[in-house]
Amino acid sequence: MDKKLKETILNPILKGNPITVLVLGICSALAVTVQLKGALVMALSVIAVTGLSSLVCSLIRNTIPNRVRIIVQLVVVAMMVILVDQILKAGEGTYAIDKQLSVYIGLIITNCIVMGRIEAFALGNKPIPSLLDGLANGLGYGLILVVVAFFRELLGSGTLFGFQVLPAGYIPNNLVILPPFALILLGCIIWVHRAIDKDLQEK
Amino acid sequence: MNTNSNVYTVIYTAIVVVIVAAILAFVASKLGPAQDANAKAETLRQMMSAAGVKPTDELYAAKNAEILQLYADNIEEAYTIDLDGEKNGELSVSKDKIELVSKLKPQHKAILAEGDATLPVYIFKGGKAVIPIYGAGLWGPVWGYIAFEPDGHTIAGAFFDHESETPGLGAKIKDEPWFREKFAGKTVEWSETPAFRLEKNAEAAGAPNAIDAITGATMTSKGLNEALNVWFKAYEKHFAAGASEETTINAEEE
Repeated sequence: MDKKLKETILNPILKGNPITVLVLGICSALAVTVQLKGALVMALSVIAVTGLSSLVCSLIRNTIPNRVRIIVQLVVVAMMVILVDQILKAGEGTYAIDKQLSVYIGLIITNCIVMGRIEAFALGNKPIPSLLDGLANGLGYGLILVVVAFFRELLGSGTLFGFQVLPAGYIPNNLVILPPFALILLGCIIWVHRAIDKDLQEK
Repeated sequence: MNTNSNVYTVIYTAIVVVIVAAILAFVASKLGPAQDANAKAETLRQMMSAAGVKPTDELYAAKNAEILQLYADNIEEAYTIDLDGEKNGELSVSKDKIELVSKLKPQHKAILAEGDATLPVYIFKGGKAVIPIYGAGLWGPVWGYIAFEPDGHTIAGAFFDHESETPGLGAKIKDEPWFREKFAGKTVEWSETPAFRLEKNAEAAGAPNAIDAITGATMTSKGLNEALNVWFKAYEKHFAAGASEETTINAEEE
């Protein structure tokens, strides 16, 4: 059991990473990675949503009528997303970031990772492993988001978390700020990931 | 129990929806006041940035409570006008009960429909008048606040914001201080049509009421230009009347 639990937590971060291996949740990874701060808040929001949705769906998994299970999952996920959005809007420090992330917080509901993990894991497992699976998948997603945002903010604005890092003479690269570069960067990350982990390469 | 029967399915979904709705309604009502306070402080920051009360960085670093205090300390009066430039309401400026016209979209619609508009004018100490503008950018709304010098046609400062313009391109209207700083010292020529021009190569001709559009952000610039002129038109009677009053007083003195 212990080994299985460890697998549940580590797999989504490494071998089964939702972005680099399953290639889920790409759109938001491109859209909210212009600045580290935004990416970090987005990552935390997704972790909270995947974790809590998986937990709730796992708790009620034996009562859900099979024919409407997707709808019930959707209602649960939507509720979590709205809660996260409302809480971000209410916090004095997070209001500005919520404004900056605008629709992308709401669009977490369409993030395939959330529904995917509920369908694939939470409906067939006990609440605690489901919670961990959700959190770990959110974490795997968040890690990539933060890595992409690190490079995009550094090269696109010359800053990290809003603080000037590169010398003032650096001319920000506008291509880096635009979404296409996030895709290029993501491709590079997948490349590096596959080069390191030989199991991911096709024979 | 048969969880696949029709009756069970219908009852189950109904219960789930009711529970979720109840949770959301409860949370929304609990967090509503905090969210409104944040939105109000945000509007005040943008207005005070335009009016030059404090540098924008400091305004954004300040807590909500400090922002309310700062506004109360610096505002002279606030009122609303209709499209004829006549006053049609007062807005409280006391610290505990600051009133704003924060929803600009309905006012924008009223201007376009030439209906009953309540357009705010915020007069800061020293005579600067701040007015909002609102319009459509490329992906979503763009809005902003323009501060006028006491003469009623020279721009003292401006602040622009947007909901979802492209980062690195249209988002420059907010992110790049040089853009809003260009507005200071420009004028709005109330008698001309358009009263202000934010267009490609507009600065080259040297007109006092022209600013270059942002390269790579054609649609955002166009939208902002439209927003500026639609709202300037709506305020034209108010400011043009004020300006002519001043000139007659000056003439009498001479």
